[in-house]
Amino acid sequence: MLSDRELFEQIVDILGPLANVGSKITADTDLVADLSLDSLKIMEFLLEIEDRFDISVPINVLSDIRTVRDVIFQLQRLLAEAD
Amino acid sequence: MLMKATPTLNQSVFRRKIFFTTLTEALDYASQGQTGYNFYSRTGELSAALPYATLRDEARSLAKKLANMGVARGSRVALVADMNPDFVRFFFACQYAGLTPVPLPAQLQFGGRKAYVAQLKRLLSDCQAELAMAPDAFLPFLTEAADGPNVRFLGTPQDYDFLDETGASLSPVKPTELAYLQYTSGSTRFPRGVMISQKAVLSNLLAIIREGVKVREGDRAVSWLPFFHDMGLVGLLLCPMASQISVDFLHTRDFAMRPRLWLKLMSENRATISFSPPFGYELTARRLRDDDVHKYDLRSWRVAGVGAEMIRPEFLSHFAERLGPSGFDHRAFLPCYGMAECSLAVCFGLQGQSLQTDHVDADLLSEHQIAEPVDPRAGNGNGRYNTFVNCGVPLSGYEVEIRNSAGKVLPERHCGTLYLRGPSVMSGYWGNPKGTREVLSEDGWLNTGDLAYQIGSSVVITGREKDMLIIHGRNIWPQDIECLAELQPEVGTRDALAFSVPGPDGGEQAIVMVQCGVSDEQKSAEFEERIHRLIYDELGILCKVVLVPLDSLPQTTSGKPSRSGARKEYIRRTMQDQSANQKKEVDTGGVAARD
Repeated sequence: MLSDRELFEQIVDILGPLANVGSKITADTDLVADLSLDSLKIMEFLLEIEDRFDISVPINVLSDIRTVRDVIFQLQRLLAEAD
Repeated sequence: MLMKATPTLNQSVFRRKIFFTTLTEALDYASQGQTGYNFYSRTGELSAALPYATLRDEARSLAKKLANMGVARGSRVALVADMNPDFVRFFFACQYAGLTPVPLPAQLQFGGRKAYVAQLKRLLSDCQAELAMAPDAFLPFLTEAADGPNVRFLGTPQDYDFLDETGASLSPVKPTELAYLQYTSGSTRFPRGVMISQKAVLSNLLAIIREGVKVREGDRAVSWLPFFHDMGLVGLLLCPMASQISVDFLHTRDFAMRPRLWLKLMSENRATISFSPPFGYELTARRLRDDDVHKYDLRSWRVAGVGAEMIRPEFLSHFAERLGPSGFDHRAFLPCYGMAECSLAVCFGLQGQSLQTDHVDADLLSEHQIAEPVDPRAGNGNGRYNTFVNCGVPLSGYEVEIRNSAGKVLPERHCGTLYLRGPSVMSGYWGNPKGTREVLSEDGWLNTGDLAYQIGSSVVITGREKDMLIIHGRNIWPQDIECLAELQPEVGTRDALAFSVPGPDGGEQAIVMVQCGVSDEQKSAEFEERIHRLIYDELGILCKVVLVPLDSLPQTTSGKPSRSGARKEYIRRTMQDQSANQKKEVDTGGVAARD
């Protein structure tokens, strides 16, 4: 099982090229307000998440995600379910 | 047993029929063949097949349960329209039970729980739904939204399974009764439910099948368009059934994540028909990989419909060029024009031709509303001109008028507001006679709010009179954006104007111009951020916030805030900034500071 720290690094790795900013990503970074990801960029982000972790992100999970921390929380849950 | 997709062809004894008076009559007929609906997973594998024959049986059985619930004929049944077989069963069960289905949006965005629940709540209350259904994933939202007195039963498809069937025989919806209520129109704050009768939608289906798409033997459709959108519901769910052809559905979300799946399904199933707003073609072209094109075989694709927003030809050519080696023929592009208020379609271009574009003098058009054709190469290509796509001729039974602001009917190549009268026009907005009167006259003319001119009998759309924004195929009303900005304590009413400008990806970019007394740089940035965030939460779009000093918003001659004035002002400023930047580029020896 991956630690929160490892997940965080993977997420930063995915977000870097999408967000197109030099700003530092922290657990509190808000994906929309801070990184200005539009709906299509968010789809690219989810695609990377699904492919990299080999999971399916259910559509109803999105509504509870705002920050990188929320992504880590939901990912841990989905990965635990997948095991 | 291995699951198999429904076949493209019905058995040879089956004769195609396209004249029906109700949706149940159409499904009864289609159920005699082998064709039907197919649903695919995020990896492009078949996840469910629903032949029309099975759909009919299951819809009738479900209809008997609905009919046993003691709700009056014509009662609204709210259905969260996720792309799965359950929605389809419920939609047709309503038809057999004499009830009115109301497809509700099934889309969520990051952090969007509150806004989505609020939207569902407004819709449930506007249509006064008595029954409601949501798939598991959406049930919590719908339950939270349905705390009013109206909804008598709310559940997942499995919850409905436990109910008892009525012993009485079914009494399906009649031709003059409503086929469905469609909420694609109007602002999110003040939703307007378009009432479409069986007669209206069946007449539109017939015209689309016969004159628009010209359905023929061997046709098969692929669609990722949501069922709560008119093009997805009427065009790609009802039309194929009413012409007995099979459809392969890809979930909208899976398309948005993996647009190339669209091409995979088209190739593998030798599909011939698919529709998309222009951005869908653009998105797919952008995500193609170089070694991709040889994987696809798009030679069968004969109708690549384009509609739902202004068509920019250059983005379609990009798609056609990239996929030419896969056998995509640019002549497959079929422009069309329509709206939920007309069931779906009003005009179709000609099949088997490349897009017909019209170049007109830009100055004559903006100053005198005259669309004078020009040669774009004239004056060494320095003349100002606009290029528009010809959306083709109206379907049978439709009359078209272009009127000026005084209501006078204009001649050919004069630009004005497009009015329509025809057999598939809505009966009105549900529970909203005032809203209905604003757009629909007693003698049946519908004000589309779109600006257009005619060449002969064909229609060319040039823009919108109503200031609606269309972002990635979704209609966004400027009032909704302005309202959100004006909720801020620093902003008064009439201090915000929303509009759109062409964005870098060929779509529209939303802008809101706000006048306020905030001048401190850091405070301004925070303030902009707050509005930006709020608009995203409520409407799901990234809107650029532009602050201007108090009393500087452009006004109309009658002193009202002017959206078109604000748009002009914004474009002027951007051009000024650009030329300043270019100057800077020269000054710094070509090393420009990018923002």
